[in-house]
Amino acid sequence: MEIELEINGVEQTVEASKSDSLLDVLRRNGYTGAKRGCDTGACGFCTVHVDGEPVKSCVEPVTKVRDASVETIEGLGEQDDLHPVQQAFVDNTALQCGFCIPGMIMRATALLETNPDPTEQEVREALSDNLCRCTGYKKIVEAVLDAAERMDGGTVAADGGKAFEGNERVANSTECAVNDCDCMEGGQ
Amino acid sequence: MGPRAEPSRPAAVEVSAMSDDDETAKADGGTASQSETVEDERYEEHPLEWDEPDNNDKAPDERDSVSHRTEKYDDRKLVTGQAKYTADYEARYPDLAYAAVVRSEIPHGRVTDIDTSAAEAMDGVDAVLTPESDAVPDTKYTSAGQSYPEPSPWDMRVLNEHVRYIGDPIAAVAAEDRSTATAAVEAIEVSYEEDDYVTDPEDAFDEDAPQLFEDGEVENEIVGHDYDRNRMAHIGGELGDVDAALDGDTHVHETEWETIRQSHANVEKHTSLAYTDEDDRHVLITSTQVPNHTRRQLAHLFDIPIRDIRVTKPRVGGGFGGKQAMVVEPIPLALSLATDRPVLYEASREEEFYAMRSRHPMKVRARTAVTDDGDIEAIDLYALSNTGAYGSHGMTVAGNVGSKPMPLYSKVPNARFEADIVHTNTPQTGAMRGYGAPQGTLALEGHLDEVARDLDLDPIEFRRRHHMEVGDLDEIAGMMGGEGANRRIRSCGLDECIERGKDAIGYDDLEQPDDDHLHRGVGMALSAQGTGVAGDELGAAQIMMNEDGSFHLQVGGVDIGTGADTAFLQIAAEVLGCDEDDIIVKSSDTDVTPFDYGAYASSTTYISGMAVKKAAEDAKERILDWGSKLLDEPVEALETGGGTVYSETSGDSVTLEEIGYEAAYGDEEREHILGKGTHCTEESPPPFAAQFADVTVDETTGEFEVHKLVVAVDCGVAINPGMAEGQIEGANHMSYEMAVSEGITLDDEGRAEVADFDEYGLPSATETPPIESILVETHEPTGPFGAKSVAEVPTNTVPPALSNAIRDAVGVRIREMPITAEKIEAKLDEREARLGDL
Repeated sequence: MEIELEINGVEQTVEASKSDSLLDVLRRNGYTGAKRGCDTGACGFCTVHVDGEPVKSCVEPVTKVRDASVETIEGLGEQDDLHPVQQAFVDNTALQCGFCIPGMIMRATALLETNPDPTEQEVREALSDNLCRCTGYKKIVEAVLDAAERMDGGTVAADGGKAFEGNERVANSTECAVNDCDCMEGGQ
Repeated sequence: MGPRAEPSRPAAVEVSAMSDDDETAKADGGTASQSETVEDERYEEHPLEWDEPDNNDKAPDERDSVSHRTEKYDDRKLVTGQAKYTADYEARYPDLAYAAVVRSEIPHGRVTDIDTSAAEAMDGVDAVLTPESDAVPDTKYTSAGQSYPEPSPWDMRVLNEHVRYIGDPIAAVAAEDRSTATAAVEAIEVSYEEDDYVTDPEDAFDEDAPQLFEDGEVENEIVGHDYDRNRMAHIGGELGDVDAALDGDTHVHETEWETIRQSHANVEKHTSLAYTDEDDRHVLITSTQVPNHTRRQLAHLFDIPIRDIRVTKPRVGGGFGGKQAMVVEPIPLALSLATDRPVLYEASREEEFYAMRSRHPMKVRARTAVTDDGDIEAIDLYALSNTGAYGSHGMTVAGNVGSKPMPLYSKVPNARFEADIVHTNTPQTGAMRGYGAPQGTLALEGHLDEVARDLDLDPIEFRRRHHMEVGDLDEIAGMMGGEGANRRIRSCGLDECIERGKDAIGYDDLEQPDDDHLHRGVGMALSAQGTGVAGDELGAAQIMMNEDGSFHLQVGGVDIGTGADTAFLQIAAEVLGCDEDDIIVKSSDTDVTPFDYGAYASSTTYISGMAVKKAAEDAKERILDWGSKLLDEPVEALETGGGTVYSETSGDSVTLEEIGYEAAYGDEEREHILGKGTHCTEESPPPFAAQFADVTVDETTGEFEVHKLVVAVDCGVAINPGMAEGQIEGANHMSYEMAVSEGITLDDEGRAEVADFDEYGLPSATETPPIESILVETHEPTGPFGAKSVAEVPTNTVPPALSNAIRDAVGVRIREMPITAEKIEAKLDEREARLGDL
C-alpha cells in the first residue's frame, strides 16, 4: 500500500506493507539515522518526532502516521551546519560509538521544545527511555544542559550553532588549560 | 537504632605522592611514591630506566595536539545520522538476502533430524543450510578473536549436530526479507535425542556429571583440561610459599565472592554482511573488534587463502569484548556462498542475550595471612569460572582474575593464584571489558577491606602500606607464565588517585543523615589493569603525504566507538606539526590498512598509537629532508610545526604544501612521502584506579541510595582528556551495573530469562548515580607521549567499593553480586537474631 506523509518537511508517498513500523519505512527510504536496537520500544535508538512528539518508531505502525509530519535526525542539521543540540553533543565529547545518539538527540530536542530550561533531573528523566552503553550518561546530560543554555529560551533555529563558534563554543568555557588554543581543554 | 560498625577514619595520612623528591618527580611526572630499588640480575632484565626518545616526553605547554580536547573525528557524521554501521549498508546491495538462524531449544543432546522441507518450499527462501550442507564448514574452531594460535580450545562448529546449550546454532536460512527469513526458521522442525545436562559449575566439576565434550573431541586443547569433569583448563602460579605463610603466626582470613553473568548489551547488535566481489574475493562488512583475526579465522574455517578474504569495519556500535570474537561472520559467509548473493545477518536483541556472549560468572575465594602489625604476608586467590558451553577466552579471562588485581600488592612476598574453568550447558561466555579483572578485584578489594576492619586498621591506610609503586618489579603478573610477563613499574599515580578521590567524595567530612534508621558510608577499592597483552601484540600504520601538505593515515587499529581514530590523529598531528584537520584517517580494512591484532586488552592507544607515532616520525624524516633542500639548511636545524618546516636557527620556514608539491612535481628529484610504523613490545604497564562510593542505607528495609561514584584514574598522559573521561564514566556505569543488576539470569535448563532491554538491568539516566571521573596524569615512558590504557580499569571497581560502602554504613557484608535491598535486609536480620541470642 502507499502511505502519504511528510518527512523532514518534504511531502512523500512511500511504499509500505501493513505490518511495517515507521522505522522499517524510514530505513528503507534512506533515513538510516534512526537505529534498530530492539524492535520492542525498549531502547529508544529509533526515536523520531511525529507531529512534534518524540516517538519510538520501531513500535509505531506506519499506518498510524498517515499524513503526519515526521522529523528525523537527518532533518536537524548538516555536518558543517549543526543544530545547537548536535553542536553541544560534539563540544561536550558526549558520544562514543554514537549508535544511540540520533535517538538521544531527537529526545533532547523534543524536551527543549517543551522545557527550554530544564534542571539536571528533568533532563535525566526525559532521557530515561533512551539507553546508552558507552557514556554513563554524564556528558550527555551535560550536553543537553549546555544546549539549553546555548538556545537560551528556544529562540535559536537550526542555524548550525554558528553563533557558538570560536571562544563561545562552550558556554562555560575557560581558557585552554594546556595551551593557548581553541580546543575544549579547561572547558568543563 | 541497630548496632553498627564504627567506621575508622585516619586522623592524618602521610602522603608520599606530594613528595618533592626530585628523583621521584623525574620518574613519572611527580605523582607517585617510589620504592627503594634492589639492583640485581632481575634489575638488568627489567631496568627502571627506559630509553625514551626526547620527543616522547613533552612538557604540557609544548603539546600542540596531544592532551587537547580535540573534537572526535567521527562526531559530526554520528550526530547527524550520516555515519554508517553495518546494517546501514543494506541499501547499497539491491540483491541482498537476509539471514536467520535456527537455535537449539534443548540444553544438551543430539539433533536426529532437521525437516527443512516446509521452509525450502516457502516463497522468497533462497537457502537453508544444515550441518550437512556443502557450504557449511565442519572444521573445528574457536570464536575467540585472539592471536594465532588462539589460547582457546577449538571446540565449536558453525552449525551443530551435538548441541550444548539453549541457543546453539543448528541451521541457517537466507531469504528475500527479514520476515520471510524468520518465518522460514519457524517452519524448520528439529528432532533431538536429549542428553543429561548440567548448569551449575560446581555440579559440572564432577566425574559423575553429564559430560559436554568427549575425549579427543576438542582440538587445540588448553593446559589442565580434564573433559571427564568438564574442565576446559586449570591454571595456577605461585611466588614464595603461601601455605607456609598461612600456617605461620598470622591472622588468616578467608572470604568467597560471586559475580553475575553480565551482558555486553552492545547497542549495535552483532551484524555482518558478506558477499563475493567481481574479483571472486570474499568481503565482509562487519561489526567487529578484530578484523585481522576474523580474516585469518574465516580462512581457516572455509579453507580460503587469507588474501582472498577482505574484512572491513564500518562504524561499530560498541564492542566491550563481545565483538572480540568471530561470533556471527561464518553464517552470512556460508549463506552467501550457497546463494551467490550478498547476505546480511543481524542478530535479534533476544539472540544478543541468549546466543552471543557474556561475562564469565565466577566464584572467587580470597585468603590472606596478615601479621599483628598489619603486614600482608600472603595473598591466595582461587577462581571457579563458568565458561558455559564453549571455551572461548575461558583460560585467559580466568588468568586475569589473578594477574590484573594481585600485582597491586606486588610487595607481598607470597602470592598464589589458581583457577578451574568449567563447562556447563549454559550460554557462551567470552571476552568482556575488564577481562577477569572485575571478578578478581571484587574478591581482593572486598577481602582486604574486611581484613582491615577486622584488624581495626583503616582500609585505605592498610592498602597504602602495600600497594605498588614506581620502581617495583612486578613478578605476580608473570607468575603463571604466558600472558603478563614480569615488568618494572615506571609510572604509578596511585597515591594521588587515592588523595584526589578522597577529596572528591568528601571522605573526611561525611555527614550522617538526621534519621536514626539511615546510615551513610563510604567504600573504596583500588584497581590495576594492563596496557595490551605483554609480549603478544602487534600494530601497524602508514602515512601518505598529498601534494597539498595533507596526509592519509592508514591504520589497522580498530575504533569501535572509543575515539581511537581521533587519538591516532592527535598522535600523528603532534609529530607532523600539522592541524588534525589535515589528516584523513582510514582504519580497519584488511585490504587497505596495515596489520593489527585488534581492539582489545586496552591496547589500541598504546600499541596501534605507537605504530602511528612511528609512521609519522618516518614520514617526518622525509619531510625534513625536503625542507632541508628547499631551505638550504641542515636537517638538524629544522623542526615541523604549524603546518610548516621551520629553521630553529634562521627562523626561515617552508609550508608542508610547498614541500608536498616539490616532492611530487619537482624538476630533478621526486618522491612520494610515505611513512610506516610497526610496533610490538614486551611491556604492559598497568593503569591504576581508586574508586569511592558514597551510600546511604535504610537499616529497616535494606534499601540503599548511591549518592555518588568517584573514580580517579592514572592512565599516563591522556591523549584526549574528554574522551578519556568518557571512557572512565562509561566503564564506571558498566561496573555499577555489575554491582546492582542481576545480569542474564537462567532457568533450570540454562535458558536465558532475559530477552530484551526491558528485562535486563542496564541502568538508565535516572538509575545511574552521578559519576565523577578524575584524570591523574603520570608519564609512562614506554607509551606514545606517555600514555597507557584507560578504558578497562574503571570497570573493575564499583562492586567492591559499593560492598565496602554498605559495610561501612551498616556493618553487614554482601559478597554475592548483585547487591540488593533484600540481601542487605536479610544480613541485618541475621545479625539482629544473632545478637538477640547472646
